[in-house]
Amino acid sequence: MEGAGLVAEVESRFATLPVARRREAGLRRRAEVRRAALLLAPSLLFLAAFTYWPIGQVIGQSLTITTFGTDAVGFGLGNFRRLLADASFGHALANNLFYALGTILPSVALALALAVGLQDATRFNAALRTVVFFPVLLPLVAAAALFMFVFLPGIGLLDYHLAKLGVPSTNWLGNPDIALWSLVGLTVWKNAGYYMLFFLAGLQAIPLDLYEAARIEGAGPWARFRRITLPLLGPTMAFVLVIALVNVITQVDHVVVLTEGGPSDSTNLLLFYIYQQAHENYDYGKAAAATVLSVAGLLALSFLSLRTLERGIHYEA
Amino acid sequence: MVTMRRASPAALLGIAAVSAVVLVWSTPLLWMAIAAFRPQNFGGLDMAALWPDFTPTLANFAEALDSADFALLYLNTVVVCLGTLAVQLATVTLSGYAFARLRFPGKEWVFYGFLLQLMLVPPILIVPNLITITRLGLYDSLLGIMAPYFASAFGVFLMRQTFRTIPKDFEEAAIVDGASWWQLVWRVLVPLARPGMVAFGIVSVVSHWNEFLWPLMVISSPDNQTLTIGLASFTRGAESASQWGVIAAGTFLVAAPLLTAFALFQRQFVNSFLFSGVK
Amino acid sequence: MSRLASAALAAALTFAIGSGAASAATEIEMFFPVPVEGQLAKEMKRLIERFNTEHPDIKATPVYTGSYDETNIKTRAAIKAGRPPAAVIMSANFVLEYQINDEIQALDPLVAAGGETADAYMGRFWPALHGNARFAGKIWAVPFHNSTPLLYYNVDHFKEAGLDPSRPPATWAEWVDAAKKLTVRDGGSIKRYGVMIPGNYDYLGWIMTALTMSNGGLYYNPEFGGEVYYDSPSMLGALSLVDDMVHKHKVMPEGVTDGKAVSTAFFAGQASMVLLSTGSLSFIRENMKANYAVAFVPRNLRNAVAIGGASLIMPKGLSEEQKKASWTLINWLTGPEVSGHWSRFTGYFAPNKGAYELPEMKEFIAKNPDAKVALDQLQYAQSWFATYNTVAVRKALEDEVQAVLSGKRKPAEAVKAAQAKADEIMRPYVEQTALKLPN
Repeated sequence: MEGAGLVAEVESRFATLPVARRREAGLRRRAEVRRAALLLAPSLLFLAAFTYWPIGQVIGQSLTITTFGTDAVGFGLGNFRRLLADASFGHALANNLFYALGTILPSVALALALAVGLQDATRFNAALRTVVFFPVLLPLVAAAALFMFVFLPGIGLLDYHLAKLGVPSTNWLGNPDIALWSLVGLTVWKNAGYYMLFFLAGLQAIPLDLYEAARIEGAGPWARFRRITLPLLGPTMAFVLVIALVNVITQVDHVVVLTEGGPSDSTNLLLFYIYQQAHENYDYGKAAAATVLSVAGLLALSFLSLRTLERGIHYEA
Repeated sequence: MVTMRRASPAALLGIAAVSAVVLVWSTPLLWMAIAAFRPQNFGGLDMAALWPDFTPTLANFAEALDSADFALLYLNTVVVCLGTLAVQLATVTLSGYAFARLRFPGKEWVFYGFLLQLMLVPPILIVPNLITITRLGLYDSLLGIMAPYFASAFGVFLMRQTFRTIPKDFEEAAIVDGASWWQLVWRVLVPLARPGMVAFGIVSVVSHWNEFLWPLMVISSPDNQTLTIGLASFTRGAESASQWGVIAAGTFLVAAPLLTAFALFQRQFVNSFLFSGVK
Repeated sequence: MSRLASAALAAALTFAIGSGAASAATEIEMFFPVPVEGQLAKEMKRLIERFNTEHPDIKATPVYTGSYDETNIKTRAAIKAGRPPAAVIMSANFVLEYQINDEIQALDPLVAAGGETADAYMGRFWPALHGNARFAGKIWAVPFHNSTPLLYYNVDHFKEAGLDPSRPPATWAEWVDAAKKLTVRDGGSIKRYGVMIPGNYDYLGWIMTALTMSNGGLYYNPEFGGEVYYDSPSMLGALSLVDDMVHKHKVMPEGVTDGKAVSTAFFAGQASMVLLSTGSLSFIRENMKANYAVAFVPRNLRNAVAIGGASLIMPKGLSEEQKKASWTLINWLTGPEVSGHWSRFTGYFAPNKGAYELPEMKEFIAKNPDAKVALDQLQYAQSWFATYNTVAVRKALEDEVQAVLSGKRKPAEAVKAAQAKADEIMRPYVEQTALKLPN
């Protein structure tokens, strides 16, 4: 035992020497890296198979040019050129932009307003919150099925009740000027409740004394909202915006079920365009090129928004 | 948390506005509930009426149940959602911990590499993913639907946040007590991270419950269809065209269990978001 | 042996025999669409169950795959994934594409194995259906159910408007005239439209084909899948008629009206005349409360329509047993008895001429004169348009027609734009065929 104590003392003296300390730290560091690698391995495996490898495939496919009837394969930017010359792609891009603005702004604003309005823990509020959240739990295809009837001209839900207010019948899904906005309405109805949930959670984290203090100082409800609620909801807001953005790009079920991109391309969205090129036109080159451009754009956007998110979270911690 | 507030006119106006919004919000669902029980009326101009002035019938439900094996669709969807979640919890917890607590070179870049997946959802990469799934022999199987989602960037992000909010004292105390690294994770961190996991679980289940395009491409046999595919076939096929009552009944069948579950567990849903570090 | 052991042995033997017998049945999958109203999916499943009972060595599974377009997509995906279905009820005009892409079996060897010549085999189907099934020298598909567009009209409305319901409009002039009389206006809005046509993808293209052909046009080159005639006087005339009905005579709603909405409107008495498929006939007959009748599609230059409907095809990549089982299924489904039954159930007409010789069918036709109209129109029917990349070429036109319906384009520029787009889509095919010249 005494020998062990001696060894320990020698070791500890040793350890305080700079070189030894660094070596030990080095060993610990390498153990840490190994552990990190082990922990990350499962995720990385699936990411490699279903994200990185496919993206590589898609990039490759976008640069591959095939000719009908021959096995000849060329490489070049031909697919991109054809893509940019395709009017439908331009339509899909423009539509997605309008769709993004049209859905994100109202659904987030509505979600925030509803969260603030329904944050008190009364049974009445709980009931209302449930009603607002219901659409979230409905698969989009189910919501689209419902809205097929809602949008039916003349006899459908909207037209029937609007007629009582004297509003003439409208072809909600068949009029190229309105169709996209009808889908926007459906999406806002579907998603606002989801974002409201996040805001509710964020609101609950704001200490009540801040409001008390502000009230004592004479700040009215609007001032309290602007000075306390909004800033402290910053990270939540950033988070919700990222989710909303992802939804805008990836939710096209309603297009598939209700309009198939029509009438006349007015409801064509990027992901639907890609799906169409791949599965209806068998133009894998163009589909891949469209995917590459969409992904590049998305990455840029997400990079920016996540930077903001990171900063917001760091501020909190 | 009950706050006493005097009913100022502004507050009353607010309540009225919110109630109005909620009323309009609920009309499609209200119609669904009513139309599902309304007797079929071809050529009826009052199909959109919200007043239940008819003798309710279960005929629509009978027809809907006859047209699609809802029980099987439900089972498949539950399997997909829970199966995906189970694997996801494993992968995201491990990865989230790695990002939160461990240091290694290139950490920030690897993290961004993960975040790539947030935007590159499987439907965008449909063609190559379908090829991969087929090569793995998973075409037309539930596992084929689940596989691309086993790694979740969103989950890793969330878990990293959750772990970061857990004070290091817990870990240090456990180390002092002589806990091995594995015991530390399993006995200390995971229980503390539960709210984050619940939050992620909800997001994951909701999103996979709703999924349509990807399962549509992967599945071809009726035995493996999920709710969304079954419902879409059911409503899109002109099979039930003009039979809005049956469509309403079918949608009702799909929605009802979820709505009930949420109505009962609303508080837990909201609370889990609160403690997950998403502030 | 103890009783338990003998029971166990019996159970094991039964299990072994049972599973042995089960594994002897060839398992095949059949994809099928449901493009019109009615309980078609349920009925198809019942039919297949009957087939399985009558053929214990085959176990066929019916897979409902949505609309014609969706069935096309699903079939393609399945073939690409290496799991082709044994049979598909494919929209008749998509068959050409599968042949161009070398994805389906030529059926001649199977016909020959059954001891018939190709001519004799095809002879049992109506001539109008041959074009989409037999081309490039071989038989590629067997017609399953077919339709033509029909003019459905509300007899009560006719009487109300002072029109003779026994003399439905036969020409475009009469058609527009009737529509004007039938449209009910209330101040600035329209309470009842004289005419409605479906404006959604696939349906719209089909209706436009009928109108163009009624205007003397060919619409496409039936001998070569690289040419369509969008920018032609016949189509311009047809499109202008539609445009006028919406914007000049104001007897048709503006914008795109989905097929479902058209039938709903017809039921509700909000449309007096509609152009819909015969496939909806049974559904309308069963559920329409008001009196209705059907007539030929009105003509301008001639009576001509395109057939619609679907045929059974057999993808490549099947085993020999699967091919045989599939062929048995295909012939069972297209035999006179089943063909007749399906026709009476849906409203589609039976492609197999023999079906109309059977007593049940004769009785049915006698009782339901509206079913006879589709059959009578058959003599004026032509093949359904099919080209390289049919769906995209079709949508090129439909998008433009939709724009005209919505008042965004004038017919003259619409047909030119449609032609340009279609030509662009077919260019890869054309460059390798008609434009491929020797060096």
